[in-house]
Amino acid sequence: MTGLHVAFKVGGAEYVVSADQVLHLESFTEATHIPGAPAFVAGLVQVRGKLVPVVDLRSRFGITPGWSATREHQLDNRVIVVSVGSRVAGLLVDSARDVLRLDESTFQPPPDLVGVQAAGFVKAVTTIPPSRLLLVVDVPRVIGEEVAHA
Amino acid sequence: MGDQVDLKEFVGGFIAESDQLTASATAGLLEIEQANARNELRPKTVRDLFRALHTLKGLAGMMGIEPIVELAHAFETVLRSADQAGGRLGARGVELGLITVRGIAERVRAVADDRPVPRAPDGLLDELARVDITGTSAAPAPYVAHGWDGRLAPGERTQLAAALAANKKIYTLTFAPSDATSSKGVTIATVRSAVAALGELIKVAPRSQPASADAPAGLLFELLVVSDASVEQLAEAASSTPGRVMPVVGEAVAPASLELPADDEIAPIGRSVVRVDLGRLDELQDALSALVVSRFRLERQVAALAAAGVDVRGLRETCEQQGRQLRELRRGILRARMVRVADVLEPLSLIVRSLTKPGVKEVRLELDVRDSELDKAVADRLLPALVHLVRNAIDHAIEPIVDREKAGKPRAGTLRIECREGAGNELEIAIRDDGRGIDRDAIGRRAGKPILDTATLLDVIATPGFSTRDSATETSGRGFGMDIVRRIVVSDLGGELALDTAVGRGTTFTLTVPLTIAIIDVFSFECAQQAFVVPVATVEEIFELGDHNAVTGPSAKGRLPIALIERRGKPVQIIPLGTLLRIPCEVTAKKALVVRRNGEALAFAVDRMLGRHEVVVRPIDDVLARVPGVAGATDLGDGRPTLLLDLVELGAGVSNWREVQPS
Repeated sequence: MTGLHVAFKVGGAEYVVSADQVLHLESFTEATHIPGAPAFVAGLVQVRGKLVPVVDLRSRFGITPGWSATREHQLDNRVIVVSVGSRVAGLLVDSARDVLRLDESTFQPPPDLVGVQAAGFVKAVTTIPPSRLLLVVDVPRVIGEEVAHA
Repeated sequence: MGDQVDLKEFVGGFIAESDQLTASATAGLLEIEQANARNELRPKTVRDLFRALHTLKGLAGMMGIEPIVELAHAFETVLRSADQAGGRLGARGVELGLITVRGIAERVRAVADDRPVPRAPDGLLDELARVDITGTSAAPAPYVAHGWDGRLAPGERTQLAAALAANKKIYTLTFAPSDATSSKGVTIATVRSAVAALGELIKVAPRSQPASADAPAGLLFELLVVSDASVEQLAEAASSTPGRVMPVVGEAVAPASLELPADDEIAPIGRSVVRVDLGRLDELQDALSALVVSRFRLERQVAALAAAGVDVRGLRETCEQQGRQLRELRRGILRARMVRVADVLEPLSLIVRSLTKPGVKEVRLELDVRDSELDKAVADRLLPALVHLVRNAIDHAIEPIVDREKAGKPRAGTLRIECREGAGNELEIAIRDDGRGIDRDAIGRRAGKPILDTATLLDVIATPGFSTRDSATETSGRGFGMDIVRRIVVSDLGGELALDTAVGRGTTFTLTVPLTIAIIDVFSFECAQQAFVVPVATVEEIFELGDHNAVTGPSAKGRLPIALIERRGKPVQIIPLGTLLRIPCEVTAKKALVVRRNGEALAFAVDRMLGRHEVVVRPIDDVLARVPGVAGATDLGDGRPTLLLDLVELGAGVSNWREVQPS
């Protein structure tokens, strides 16, 4: 089974999310800081009249410094607006350029150590020629399902 | 709004002309009645009558008085067939005519007295639609189902009447879509077919209402069904509960009769209407908010009692019941604030009329707004945007007759306004013209960049000052003011604006706005370089910190340092807001906002005050962004969310505050 995926970079590694979960991509300049929100939440942005919390993936993936710490944005920064169930959230990434058609039967569970280290944020890995390694992101987990059920 | 069209300007002329027309129509009908008695025909009088009704319809249409349009149109249709029958209008036709003309005259008086215009009575319209124009007998009585009045077409009533004659049972079912139903794959489409399998599905009507436990998505569908199935089966088909399957009681409606009320007793027909100043509803809502706050206090006190070992089961039950009653009350108030979209759009017909130049540029306005309703506060804010769009469409988009004929288009341009309720408590309004369309390339040249999609096109034409830069934009299809339209729709109402255009074929603007909004009066201020707002109602006073000598007392290590000042002979605690919110703060706080918590004054130190605004507050729903002390967010016009703080709740968190050690 093949499906469209949006590819993006965070801290040098390349990740993908299923295009089914993506509503749209937005450029990013800044977000309104929410005092008291989890540290990986860059803040709140307004997208087409809706309030959307943005998860800083650098901070979420333990790659410092994230935008939340430096407040320095790069021209390439993008917010991938995703929807899971009734929730809508943004993923702040270093850059997002590609939409790829991937064969999901080639997805493999992440190697043991990576799986543990990535705290479940990576649900699979895959490779595409010539030698591109892609980490498949578990979106519900990344946008803090554990927070939602706390 | 300086360019608002004054209704009053036209009302006088409308009333004078209508009075004359109804008087002559009545005279004509009486003349026909006398001729009928002598077995004579009066074809010329029938044609005169037809013209009078047609003119009445046109006048009422221009004024946007729909009930008169409906009545005049219905009888005009009867007269047309009478004319085709050689001018034969039977006794029943004459009687219905007199009732109709009388009904029109009453409604003209309502306009003159500035009273709400009663709806056209369904029974009368039905009978006009089916009357045997040459005969003397009344048509069979139509059927009305309670709760569905005015929502059924004549054919649907007949279906109901037949069901009643066959002694069948009629029910109203309710289906409320929610996340739970959609996750099970249950939609209105599946419900519709499940219900249709159990009987005869007569009508499905969507109804929007504020989101509640009964309607989580703020949307209900009502299904009118004739069925022999059990209540349980029907409930299951509609994914509902048996308690929500309502049997419908119907009754035959007596044919309209010519019993005229005395002039001083004319009551609105159908629903009765009370006009209420919006301010009073706001007061009611404020009182309700206060009630909600005191309920929270009550809950805390009950919890404290429970913690002390007291048996609070009875109290808790009462509390919960009160909570439900409060929600009910809130829904009631929200409903009271709703106005009919048809009424909101009324002034547009006049604007269209005033911009139309007979023989040069003619425009027909078509409204398809059904029974949609909208919060009065939304409607008031929205109307200027709609006026702008209608004006622009007529001034710039719809071509003069000469050009239209050259292009092979109908002489008169059509401006169509459609409304429908979307999911999630939204109203979608489309304003569609069949004019020249927006020339993307011309706009692109002016903007100095290529325009590849309609979103960019909208961005460009909605840039403040874009179109005023060069008067030539007039010919490119859109005038000025798009920035205002976008500000109203997107910033003020939190909605969406979209555009669809094709050169030579026309342009459609689609506005999606929330059905209700919460508007509050706020102070904006800056703290640690971040802007915040607080409700004006919660702030007791604002004072300069510099005028006071603040003393910082001892504070245990890691606790929030709280300063004290003397004010009007009393000590006031000063809470450093930036530190409390853990946002790095370099500037010394200059101002203090005072709120009262449990009767005690608390002052929050902030950097500087920015202003005072009326804003739309949007709730923060997502768990990632929902934190104590932040009640929602608003847009102060910069397109960025600004947080609305609840200082009282933040004050409650002070005692638990601990300094975080940098790790």
